[in-house]
Amino acid sequence: MNEKELSGEESIKLINRMIYQAKGYFFESGLSSIVYGISILICTILVYFFEKGAIDFPFNPFYLMIPVFFAQGFIQFKEDKKKKVKTFTDEAIEHVWMGFFLATFAALCGNFANAGYIIVTIILLLTAFAVFIIGLLSKFRYNILCGIICFLIAVISFFLQNPNIYLLLATDAILVWLIPGIILRRHFKKQQHQHI
Amino acid sequence: MFKDLDPILHSQLRLAVMSLLISVKQAEFTFIKEKTNSTAGNLSAQVQKLKEAGYIEVLKEFKDNYPNTTCKITQKGIKAFEEYVKALQQYLQVKK
Repeated sequence: MNEKELSGEESIKLINRMIYQAKGYFFESGLSSIVYGISILICTILVYFFEKGAIDFPFNPFYLMIPVFFAQGFIQFKEDKKKKVKTFTDEAIEHVWMGFFLATFAALCGNFANAGYIIVTIILLLTAFAVFIIGLLSKFRYNILCGIICFLIAVISFFLQNPNIYLLLATDAILVWLIPGIILRRHFKKQQHQHI
Repeated sequence: MFKDLDPILHSQLRLAVMSLLISVKQAEFTFIKEKTNSTAGNLSAQVQKLKEAGYIEVLKEFKDNYPNTTCKITQKGIKAFEEYVKALQQYLQVKK
């Protein structure tokens, strides 16, 4: 691009072209989503069998998520460093997930008050809300649809206040993290292959 | 009577840089160079002019032991860009 003076029309065309170019940037490997999805899935299945009395575990299997949070945070930190662009949408999505994790942590504190399975219902509602909002922000139709399905799953959970509720949480893990993670990973690998 | 177009923005490469940065929160120098199809030297000079005008912030850091420059538009830059677009729209309407 040369250092030249533009006409009015050329200026408008240039602005539109650059804005379009900027919006085309996408960098998301899906790795942290897959890691988190698999971890939640394994933990919920373990908790389900644990509460049914089918397996023995020295502690609640959900405590296994603690190292996963750190691992996922580390993966996300490394991936953010590779990004050449940070958009306002990226920032908004980060804030939504931050709010989600804080709210989930607060809900888990209900265990100290023996709140029971309603905590899982609250987490299902929070997950549905987060993924729906993120779908709207990123205009990712899968997330919008997924959010609606997760809202229905959360409603069903009100009537399933027993160990079977963990199967609903496992379904959420697959829909919200695992499937989008795999979709993003495939798209990412295709992009990387095109650049080579 | 239409406003004069901001001479800092009324230049192809500087306008391209500002248009990119208005859409994103921040962008690396290499990304801007790729999208504007400019040389490193020319882009560097224009980025410096925008920085001196207070329209962008430039952050220099190391990434994987390599120097890395990131640019981010400022509030002053956003306002200047908005005024530039308004002036441009007025100018184009007068021309019609």
